[in-house]
Amino acid sequence: MDHPQTPRILAPHLNAFQHRIVRILGKVVQLRGETAIIDAGGHVDVILNRDSHLAVGHAVEVIGKVDQNLHVKVQASTDFGTNIDFNAANAVVEATHRYKAIFYDEQ
Amino acid sequence: MNYNNYDTSYTSYGAGGGAGGGGFIPGEGGSQQSPGGRRDHAQDSLRPVTIKQLLDAQLHPGSNDTFKIDGSPISQLTFVGQIRNISTQTTNTTYRLDDGTGSIEVKQWVDSDAVDTANPTKAKLVEGAYCRAWGKLKSFNERRSVGAQIIRPVEDMNEVSYHLLEATSVHLYLTRGPPGGASTGAGAAAANGAGQQQAAGGTDSGYDLGSYTQTAKRVFQYLRQAPQTNEGLHQHDIAANLGVDVADVARAGDDLLAGGLIYTTVDDQTWAILEAD
Repeated sequence: MDHPQTPRILAPHLNAFQHRIVRILGKVVQLRGETAIIDAGGHVDVILNRDSHLAVGHAVEVIGKVDQNLHVKVQASTDFGTNIDFNAANAVVEATHRYKAIFYDEQ
Repeated sequence: MNYNNYDTSYTSYGAGGGAGGGGFIPGEGGSQQSPGGRRDHAQDSLRPVTIKQLLDAQLHPGSNDTFKIDGSPISQLTFVGQIRNISTQTTNTTYRLDDGTGSIEVKQWVDSDAVDTANPTKAKLVEGAYCRAWGKLKSFNERRSVGAQIIRPVEDMNEVSYHLLEATSVHLYLTRGPPGGASTGAGAAAANGAGQQQAAGGTDSGYDLGSYTQTAKRVFQYLRQAPQTNEGLHQHDIAANLGVDVADVARAGDDLLAGGLIYTTVDDQTWAILEAD
């Protein structure tokens, strides 16, 4: 019922967001059963859950927790199709961290 | 449980969320009168916001639906979020929307006149789907919610990025003023001019002055480097500073004007550089 803030990040931010729940929009590069690699300003290893239905080449938005190995344990994923402007999406991530007052609280 | 409690008391207020289109109950006017009476239509703007901004919005003391964000009063709002929960009642449907910055309940009142016409967009409003909502922020028992007029599904996922960038842009406009304000704009232009000047040396970076007379070249150079306002410089000043006859400067200016390198500002004898970019 409770929905925590999920700051939008890219691969370079993973380290700064360890043990936090984040939102990452990236392109699915490779599927390997229980895990997958998505490209979001760099490769990100994601650990899938039962409900994740990722498609290679599609954009996907995952919500998940960053673990100590900087892998993202997926809690939810949304297919964003094949027509995503990643320049705009990456600009949102930049705005998120530059103007965080309207996006997320420090922990 | 908390939710149910909230819902019941809210319903007993009848059209507390009257803007949502529910029935109007005259007896309910008391609680709504003061904000309603002061309503300023000049401020009925449509503001794109993040949900965090709604949760952080300052509530006007003694009111339950007058808020400010970034010091500016809000009325109509629009935001994009992912549906986390749907609760359908006879009189309304409540969605919990989450945009990554927070989550909030969005209540849409059922329009009893339109019940029979099946709404095709509503079928797409399922849990996990992104949607855009338009409505007004309310506060009841310290709980914030939005009374929505329209909720529609997001078809192109780029709208999510678009909305968040638009919300950022409006936030920055209200907190820092319009982009490239007069002072910073002039400063940047001056810095740019100086940089070009250094690089230029004998030749002109980006400007083709090959076909112009020597005087025209000097006039142009002077206009580029001399300190000036955005009104540019008068031809008498240019003539005096270059030690050239005013008539020659006027002729040079005519050539440069014809070539589109300079333009007239306050009058025909006052010129400024037409920036190439």
